[in-house]
Amino acid sequence: MNGPDVTWYLAVAGVLFATGALGVLLRRSPLIVLLSLEIMLNGANLALIAFARQQGDLDGQIFALAVMAVAASEVVVGLGLIVAMARRRLVLDVDELTTLRG
Amino acid sequence: MSIAAWICLLAPLGGALAITLLGELVPRRIAGLVATGSVAVAFAAAVVLFVTVLGRDGEERQELTTAWNWLSVGDLDVGLSLLVDPLSIMMALIVAGVGSLIVAYSIGYMAADDEERRFFAYMALFVFSMLLLVLAGNFLILLAGWGLVGLSSYLLIGFHHERPSAIAAAKKAFIMNAVGDATMALAFFLLVYETGTLDFVTAFERVDGLSSTVVNLVALGLLGGAVAKSAQIPLHTWLPDAMEGPTPVSALIHAATMVTAGVYLIVRAHPLFEAAPSVQDLAAGLGAVTIVVAGLIALVQTDIKRVIAYSTMSQIGYMFLAAGIGAYANGMFHLMTHAFFKALLFLAAGVVIHALVGEQDMRKMGGLRRLMPRTWIAMLIGGLALVGLPPLSGFFSKDSILASALATGDTYGYVLFAAGLFGALLTGIYTFRMLFIVFTGEPSGFVREHLHTEHGEGPRWMTAPVAVLAALAVVGGAVQIAGIWHPLADFLDSIVAADRESLALVEPTVTQDWVTSILAVGAGLLGIGVAWLIYGARRVAAPRMVALRNPLERKLYFDELYQTVFYYPAVGIARGWTRFVEGPLIGGSISGVAGATRGLGRGVGQAQTGFLRTYALAIAAGLAVLAMVFVSVR
Amino acid sequence: MLTTALILVPLAGALVVWLLPWSRFAAGSIALLVSLVEVGLWVTALAGFDFGESGLQDGARASWFSDLEVSYHVGLYGFSLWLVGLTVVAMAAAIGYGLWAGRERARTYFGLMLFLTGAVVGVFTAQDLLLFYAFFEGMLIPLYALIGVWGGRRRQAATIKFVIYTVAGSLLMLVSIIVFGLSQGTFDLVDSGTSDSPWLFLGFAAAFAIKAPLFPLHGWLPDAYRESPPEVAAVLSGVVSKAAVYGLLRIAIAKFPEPADDFRFTILVLAAVGLVYGSFLAFRAPDIRGVIAYSSLAQMGLITLGLFAGNSSGLNGAVLMSVVHGLVSTTLFLLAGGIERRASTGELASLGGMGRGRPLLATMLMTVGVIALAVPGSAAFAGEFLILAGVFDQGWLWAVIGAAAIVLAAMYVLRLISAVLHERDGSAVPREALDLRPAELGLLVPLVACLLALSAWPAAVTDRAFSDGDVRTLQAVQRGDGNGSAFLASVVRECREPRQRYAISGSGSGASHITFVVCREGDDAWTGYAPIDEEEKP
Repeated sequence: MNGPDVTWYLAVAGVLFATGALGVLLRRSPLIVLLSLEIMLNGANLALIAFARQQGDLDGQIFALAVMAVAASEVVVGLGLIVAMARRRLVLDVDELTTLRG
Repeated sequence: MSIAAWICLLAPLGGALAITLLGELVPRRIAGLVATGSVAVAFAAAVVLFVTVLGRDGEERQELTTAWNWLSVGDLDVGLSLLVDPLSIMMALIVAGVGSLIVAYSIGYMAADDEERRFFAYMALFVFSMLLLVLAGNFLILLAGWGLVGLSSYLLIGFHHERPSAIAAAKKAFIMNAVGDATMALAFFLLVYETGTLDFVTAFERVDGLSSTVVNLVALGLLGGAVAKSAQIPLHTWLPDAMEGPTPVSALIHAATMVTAGVYLIVRAHPLFEAAPSVQDLAAGLGAVTIVVAGLIALVQTDIKRVIAYSTMSQIGYMFLAAGIGAYANGMFHLMTHAFFKALLFLAAGVVIHALVGEQDMRKMGGLRRLMPRTWIAMLIGGLALVGLPPLSGFFSKDSILASALATGDTYGYVLFAAGLFGALLTGIYTFRMLFIVFTGEPSGFVREHLHTEHGEGPRWMTAPVAVLAALAVVGGAVQIAGIWHPLADFLDSIVAADRESLALVEPTVTQDWVTSILAVGAGLLGIGVAWLIYGARRVAAPRMVALRNPLERKLYFDELYQTVFYYPAVGIARGWTRFVEGPLIGGSISGVAGATRGLGRGVGQAQTGFLRTYALAIAAGLAVLAMVFVSVR
Repeated sequence: MLTTALILVPLAGALVVWLLPWSRFAAGSIALLVSLVEVGLWVTALAGFDFGESGLQDGARASWFSDLEVSYHVGLYGFSLWLVGLTVVAMAAAIGYGLWAGRERARTYFGLMLFLTGAVVGVFTAQDLLLFYAFFEGMLIPLYALIGVWGGRRRQAATIKFVIYTVAGSLLMLVSIIVFGLSQGTFDLVDSGTSDSPWLFLGFAAAFAIKAPLFPLHGWLPDAYRESPPEVAAVLSGVVSKAAVYGLLRIAIAKFPEPADDFRFTILVLAAVGLVYGSFLAFRAPDIRGVIAYSSLAQMGLITLGLFAGNSSGLNGAVLMSVVHGLVSTTLFLLAGGIERRASTGELASLGGMGRGRPLLATMLMTVGVIALAVPGSAAFAGEFLILAGVFDQGWLWAVIGAAAIVLAAMYVLRLISAVLHERDGSAVPREALDLRPAELGLLVPLVACLLALSAWPAAVTDRAFSDGDVRTLQAVQRGDGNGSAFLASVVRECREPRQRYAISGSGSGASHITFVVCREGDDAWTGYAPIDEEEKP
């Protein structure tokens, strides 16, 4: 096997995931939250591919491709929502958008 | 014999059903004829039974016939059965015989009424119920007849149902009788529990095995029913009010038959009562009290029917007295003669009322002696029989009871005897007070204005039965002349032979008979004399005696007592519960549940903050917890 | 087969009425026809029923979930046969009334009525607990719609209250059913044994106590009875309340003998309170429906007294009283409906004098009224007498209370009759109000005829409700017979067919807790329990 150990890839994946998570929890702009969500997904993808490489099994890579497809669709929906919100001149701040409170 | 019994019972029912179902299809007069006919058929059947039984002896005189199983549970079997024996035949003869006369009388009396058909249906129903009562072969069927009699009474008292007073009287009668029904039912529960049967014959056989408490309670329950049905003190207040019903109703139900059912019950169940001597003494005592109290109240009544009603109460007191001391045959004898002369009095009074277009207040009457001579004679005969002057029937029957009381020999018997004598005095006074007020003197203004006698004193349908009853009142006493011949006592002997030793009831000696008769007749004549002085010759003014008069006029405040003790509390409880229990229960319970649910929802809803970041945090935290759980479990 | 037909015919009829485009009159006529066919089916079942034989008859069984032992198992006992008879007759009268009175959205209405018929018959015949539950809840759906759509002014509130109360009880019952079925290993009523868990008993008892209703769980009663259409109130009071009676008898008492004994006193107290309370409130209720509603509460209290009296007298009285009260209630509500139509109100203060010139109405109301107050000689009196004679076993005070209730019943019924028929014409009674029409008579006369026939021959029901075997086993249960083993032997001798009875519970033979007996094929008859002595085995 060439290249660095699987552990390193997992560490990078973990860092990516943590960064994304922090972004989701701490940022106020919906666009940034969406972006962070994408980073989390990519972190997961990396971990999947790393494990696939470690097991010598292609299932992980196929799973990663599926995740990418789902991520793309979800981004479309999310960006569509944000554009709609901007058009209505709503404040793009998640703390202000609370119409669905119980 | 059993076929005759069933015909006797079912003929009046058939009549009632026919009248009800055919309704307006038959003319009104036909309804009356159907009713009279059906009761007459019952009488004929009773006569057949009587003749058949006469030809037999002892045990053979009793026959039980069962149609089918009415109710059976476990060991308890109650059949729809009739018991034909001398006692029930005697009652059936009285009920159907006097009944047919009175129903015939009603054809004339009710001729002007719109709802004649309904009246005759009810009358036939009543006769059926009464026959069911007296022919019953076990306690439950007797109770069924008992209840149906009360129902018919309610229907007939409230016949003129546009009158609130009639409806109130009907309800009162029914409810007081229902109280009696309830006590009887309790007695039956106890009887079933202890003996496992309600058949007369079987139950009486098992009486010996019962403890005295049980027997006393059972007898007490039966006595309660008897007192209610026979309007004895203290369950008597319904009877005077029952005079709201048409006069034939008063004659049939409240003089001759229904109110005598209590006496019949005591005589029928005499083995039970003899095993509970204190209750039997109580029965005699209540009878004596009623004799006196009813007699006193009758002295101040102004309604002609009420006088006769209180007189009935008083006379039934004599019958209770007789049954209470074990002189059953004498009690039944008086029942029979009383049926004759009391019905006679009521029907004759009815002729007067009918002629005066419904007026019943005696103070408006007077001087009818010359205007209605035949009615006067009839009422005079009835009155003399009631007071008990020889040779009319009442003399023989009443004096036999008094003589039996004297013959018991103990203090209690003497007290009863004295009460009976005092009652005879009162009877003389109030009866002839009534007769003198109504018939002697000059015709009052009211009479001159309203009396219509162009077509004779009354229609033929009314005068004929009165004549028959008058004849019976005169000769009815012939079936039993104390000390000389007693076919009636012999006839009833097989069932009502009291255990002579335990009751210490001996036949009155000839001396006692004579003493009783002289004293009783003397008391009666004294009463008549007093009435003559005050009301006949008008030589002496009626004593004022306000202190005594007022309570008597208010009927000793029994009505007020019952209202206060029973009616108002019932209404109060009902109202109180509706407001304080039902209201909160219905409204409160559901609103409580609804409110609690809403509150819970609101509480849980607080988790939905609407903040995106809260939800995200929740996801992250949940994930962290799960991860830790997985790791630690591993 | 017959039982299945009794359930399916009305359900099929409901579908036919719902789906096809009938006119209002046609829909009603078909529904009436179906209900009369149903009555005919019941008469056939009655004719073919062997009252001497104990155990289930006309049974049908088909497995549903075999791993849980849930099956479609239906059949008739003597007492359930009479309750089914009451149901079909009352529903036929109610459907006839609906046809005569005319209802909007006729197809839905008559479909719902037929569906209700099938559901109630299912309740009385189901021998599997889940099936029973399904039918029990199935009664609720049409009632909710019938009251909520065709009812009076405050119908929404009334029906929601009714549904919530009932469902609350049913959910408790569902929990009990599940636990009981799983612990017994089968949900079948005939196959399963008994249990002595008080909680399970209470779960069932709660549901039935709400349905009956039993004081103090009757909060739904007055409003539901007042706001329903008259014929639905008739069915509610006459038929649906008897489902509770059946449930108490077939499930609560039969399957939980010891808890039934433990709670006997409490239940008797509540029943007696309901009897007296209902009677007093009926005495002062301001409208016809109120009087009938509270009198219903009182009568159900009386029936419950009979059920928990602990002997055959009480049980037979309870069954007879159920049938009689069902018929009386139906008739009274239909009459009340007629009176309300004529006077546009049921308030007693505005009624009066309706007896004048209307002999048919007066006769009908009077006849039903005196039967309702249990005048001695009537079938209701026979039932009341049996119940009180039975409950006398438990203590004389119960019988005294019952006797007092007799007087109270006289008071409130006579008040009702007089307020409607007698004295002056009420302010709401129009002078041209008609007497009972032939259609109304056609509904009422058969009901009254049944009542009169029962009054002449109450033994028709009481002699034929429980065969000796059934009663004896139930009896031993409730007395915890000290004579356990002797009794056991006698019952065992009665087992003619295997799988006929209920299972043993309690400790070993000869002990004072012997309750039921199961008769099974083969030697190993007493699985899991100590066998009885050799000489006592059949």
